[in-house]
Amino acid sequence: MVRPLELVRPFLTLLPDIELPERRVAFREKAAYTAVALFVFLVCSQLPLYGIKTNSGSDPFYWARVIMASNRGTCMELGISPIVTSGLVMQLLAGSKLIDVDNSVKADRELLNGAQKLLGVLITIGEAVAYVVSGMYGDVRELGAGNAILIIVQLFFAGIIVICLDEMLQHGYGLGSGISLFIATNICESIIWKAFSPYTVAGPRGVEFEGAIIALFHLLLTRGDKVRALKEAFYRNSLPNVLQLMSTIAIFMVVIYFQGFRVDLPVRSKQRRGAQQNYPIKLFYTSNMPIILQSALVSNLYFISQLLYKRYGGNILVQLLGKWQEVDMSGQMHPVGGLVYYISAPHSLSQVAANPLHALVYVAFMLGACALFSKTWIEVSGSSANDVAKQLREQQMFLQGHRDTVQSLKKELNRYIPTAAAFGGMCIGALTIVADFMGAIGSGTGILLAVTIIYQYFEAYEKEKAQGQMLF
Amino acid sequence: MAKGASGSQAATLVPRAGGGASTGGSAAARAPPTAAGLRKRTTRSSGSGAGRQSGAGGGLNFYTDDAPGLKMSPVVVVFISVGFIIFVTVLHIVGKLRGI
Repeated sequence: MVRPLELVRPFLTLLPDIELPERRVAFREKAAYTAVALFVFLVCSQLPLYGIKTNSGSDPFYWARVIMASNRGTCMELGISPIVTSGLVMQLLAGSKLIDVDNSVKADRELLNGAQKLLGVLITIGEAVAYVVSGMYGDVRELGAGNAILIIVQLFFAGIIVICLDEMLQHGYGLGSGISLFIATNICESIIWKAFSPYTVAGPRGVEFEGAIIALFHLLLTRGDKVRALKEAFYRNSLPNVLQLMSTIAIFMVVIYFQGFRVDLPVRSKQRRGAQQNYPIKLFYTSNMPIILQSALVSNLYFISQLLYKRYGGNILVQLLGKWQEVDMSGQMHPVGGLVYYISAPHSLSQVAANPLHALVYVAFMLGACALFSKTWIEVSGSSANDVAKQLREQQMFLQGHRDTVQSLKKELNRYIPTAAAFGGMCIGALTIVADFMGAIGSGTGILLAVTIIYQYFEAYEKEKAQGQMLF
Repeated sequence: MAKGASGSQAATLVPRAGGGASTGGSAAARAPPTAAGLRKRTTRSSGSGAGRQSGAGGGLNFYTDDAPGLKMSPVVVVFISVGFIIFVTVLHIVGKLRGI
């Protein structure tokens, strides 16, 4: 029987592939490539698509915008969603043994990566066609066939470019991965924008600035009653307020503080006797992966439920999955009933009081899903106790005060790693809930992603600096 | 040249892939029966994550390994993306001019 993975092979030659660097890329060069990739991404996420007629109506992906680094109506409409989706699908398929991959064989790894890329390209095409045909940019007849095809081509090329940029950075030409870079940039951009936006909005009590900090000064300077001006700046409802900004900063601090939590296992090297090192097992062992998986799951659920509700709103099963309603004037649909409602975040304290069950189910779902995803991820990504034991063994390391076999290494690591993964995932989930509840700018998920990614970059930078010092 | 060699090597390695998987399975079967959860873990990870060196914490390394395909240097990627941006901009300009 032909393995499913082998079917990918004929397409591999058609896929773009970035050469691996032949020498070690200097730090300055890496920084330059990263900056160029970032520049391309930022330009693309501001450049409107050519040929679109309308850009309004309910946005079925509003939940996913943050983690998918996408911007409506621009070339980055799809953002990194094809890459993330295809990556998750392949990793989960491989992890659940639905397709058999032997990761120690290079050909298999190549095939898996090729399959991932192929799936990414296919998802790009599929999403582009779906967006245009579903009338997100206006009725297809109104657009005309030429424009419709042009939009699809633009989205397709933007998708390919994102895939190439990501691979370029991953192959060692840049720092970190394209995905995390783009997510972090998108979130930081929105935080800065909401703090300093110079746009003015006509409110019920005169013109106000959108940006929280600018509004604070503007209100303090123009209003006669300074105390009320302060209150307004801190608690205004419809626009970003100073309190939200402060909670955002607080969450940043807390997450960075928690990043330092770890258990140090003393390891000794066989080759250099007496040299003792520490193998750290961090509390956030899986970092931001649980939230990425959790929000990918939720956003897909939202999308499916919304589509079904629009088509077959009367069906009882569809209603059990989720009921949707336009809450405010923006035409944005929000869940108001069914399963989807119970796993969505409550918006305010009054909502929690009105339906405590909703809040309870939401908290339980967040914590449970994060812990579960975190535990599965260590298996899938190859950072489980078993794999770490093998890695340490290859480096001729052993734990102090234990026998030097893979079995005993594994046993000892198993005491820490699964717990760290599950508990760390739960902590990440809890922090997301807290951030959401405090109204942190850019949603709790977004903040958590941004902080963990920035911290990873900081660590990579430190490592790079240390290596540079050793070399020169 | 080296890339071409790796491609042909990939083709010759295929039959061995099945053998590798089967030995992995038997190794997992031989694993001593400790806790049930531990055994599950060994069977799973023996096939899935052994060679992947994404480091502790996993992270977002989706396309780490090299795959045979259209070889491009990073400079080409940069040029393509700048070309794409210019293309869309020109589309907008042409659209505006034709609209008048």
